Amino acid sequence: MADKEFTPKVFYALCAWCGSGGSETAGAYWLKYPENVRPFRVMCTGALDSAYVLRALIEGADGVAVSGCHPGDCHYNIGNFRARRRIAVMKEILNTFGIDGDRVWLRWVAHGEGKKLADTATEFTEHIKKKGPSPLKRWDT
Amino acid sequence: MALGVIYTGEPEAAIKDFVKLLMKHKDIQGAVIPVKMEREGSYAFVFTKSPEVVDKSSPIAPVMPVQGARVLSKLTKRKPLTKPAVAVLKPCEVRAARELSKINQVCMESFITVSFDCPGVYPTKSFLKNADALEEEFKKGLKGLSVSGVRPLCESCTYFTGEFADFEVQFAGINEVRIIARSQRAEAILKGLGKAEEVEERDKKAIEAVLEARKKAKEALKTEFAEKVSTPEKLLSVLSSCINCHNCRSVCPICFCRECFFDSDSLKTPPHLYLERASRKGGLRFMPDTLLFHLGRMNHMSLSCVSCGTCEDACPNMVPVSRLFALVSERTRAIFDYVPGIDDRPSPFLEYREEELEEYEMPYYEARS
Ligand code: SF4
Ligand code: SF4
Repeated sequence: MADKEFTPKVFYALCAWCGSGGSETAGAYWLKYPENVRPFRVMCTGALDSAYVLRALIEGADGVAVSGCHPGDCHYNIGNFRARRRIAVMKEILNTFGIDGDRVWLRWVAHGEGKKLADTATEFTEHIKKKGPSPLKRWDT
Repeated sequence: MALGVIYTGEPEAAIKDFVKLLMKHKDIQGAVIPVKMEREGSYAFVFTKSPEVVDKSSPIAPVMPVQGARVLSKLTKRKPLTKPAVAVLKPCEVRAARELSKINQVCMESFITVSFDCPGVYPTKSFLKNADALEEEFKKGLKGLSVSGVRPLCESCTYFTGEFADFEVQFAGINEVRIIARSQRAEAILKGLGKAEEVEERDKKAIEAVLEARKKAKEALKTEFAEKVSTPEKLLSVLSSCINCHNCRSVCPICFCRECFFDSDSLKTPPHLYLERASRKGGLRFMPDTLLFHLGRMNHMSLSCVSCGTCEDACPNMVPVSRLFALVSERTRAIFDYVPGIDDRPSPFLEYREEELEEYEMPYYEARS
């Protein structure tokens, strides 16, 4: 499956507080992460409806990573717990149909954890490279 | 032993007598009950205050074109009823109503629910093609709960008794019809009517064989059917006849949102974006967003899916949509060990915990440079 030339399209959903903060810290330290990673900001990981993640996977993304505040740190108290339950459900559903729930990652990143953010972007890109293109990138969906 | 009433004779006749008895209680107004429509031979729920209509009703209808929980939801959407009504429902309708009440979509205080041993229902389309013959067969198989040709999910339904209603009607595997109070409210009503007798509970063994057969069918769903949709290719071929009409969603008791994301403007894009999507994917199927609709709906509501099969019944194109949802629901509910409509806990999307599900997070080891 894995093609050497394959550059995966990766979406990286970051909450407005910790996740985005992590990317600012990464920027402040001039840390680099792969250019194919497209970060986008949501108010809270709890505001990231599963439909958006699915839509990305169906419309061309090869993987979606999600980072928000560590448990206990959510600016809306329970948004990240909400996100974790949603992502657990989504992974089960994707696995049921052999779509591979491992194309969706959840990892907490705090404001100060710039290195963790850049590492996650790199690690996830490598992980998706090994998996190859999303099986949902097809015309008949 | 429990409080209840014993009837002899046919289950349907007993339920009708019992409903008329309940309607005499000063705190009860009317009943919601399935009635056969004279013209087309199908069935519909009727909300009535008249005992004559109850006489003409069919408490155990052989089809379920409208899921009863939707009826209760409609009735109490604006306000609770001034006094409760009796609602005669199939077990999956009771479960759906209980599930909906947790999200404030049904006011359960407005209904005294009565439910019964359910043999399943026929798919409406096959019933209408051959109504008279199937009606006969249904009556014959009722007491033994052995009716063939019912909805695929009815065959694998393991919660087929009325135990989650206020009143449970038992008749399978026993000679008489036992109607048992399952809630304090139900007990108080029986006492108010001066009808509370101590009744013996049915021995579980009486319905063991039915339960075993249903469990076996459920296993088959989880293995054989699961195999038929185990890859994206297979799933899409099962969805190939879907015309994205959203009928399945409109009839689902659990899908209550006034505006569904999948009908919203966010999925209606300007033409150049369709073209862009088409070039990215090598083409674009129309109507678009079919897979998104199904997977999205599964994410939104599979935790509460009561596996009633109504979606599949309403599908014009034979998509096995209820089996897809039941299959997924078995797996998503297992994460939280949750059974919709039976569990007293809130639905898992309404509840959160700080320490759980770490296995769904990606661990991080800071060894890299
Ligand atoms: S998804 Fe289908 S089987 Fe599940 S509750 Fe809705 S109508 Fe019933
Ligand atoms: S599964 Fe059936 S009812 Fe649902 S949208 Fe597709 S064609 Fe319509």
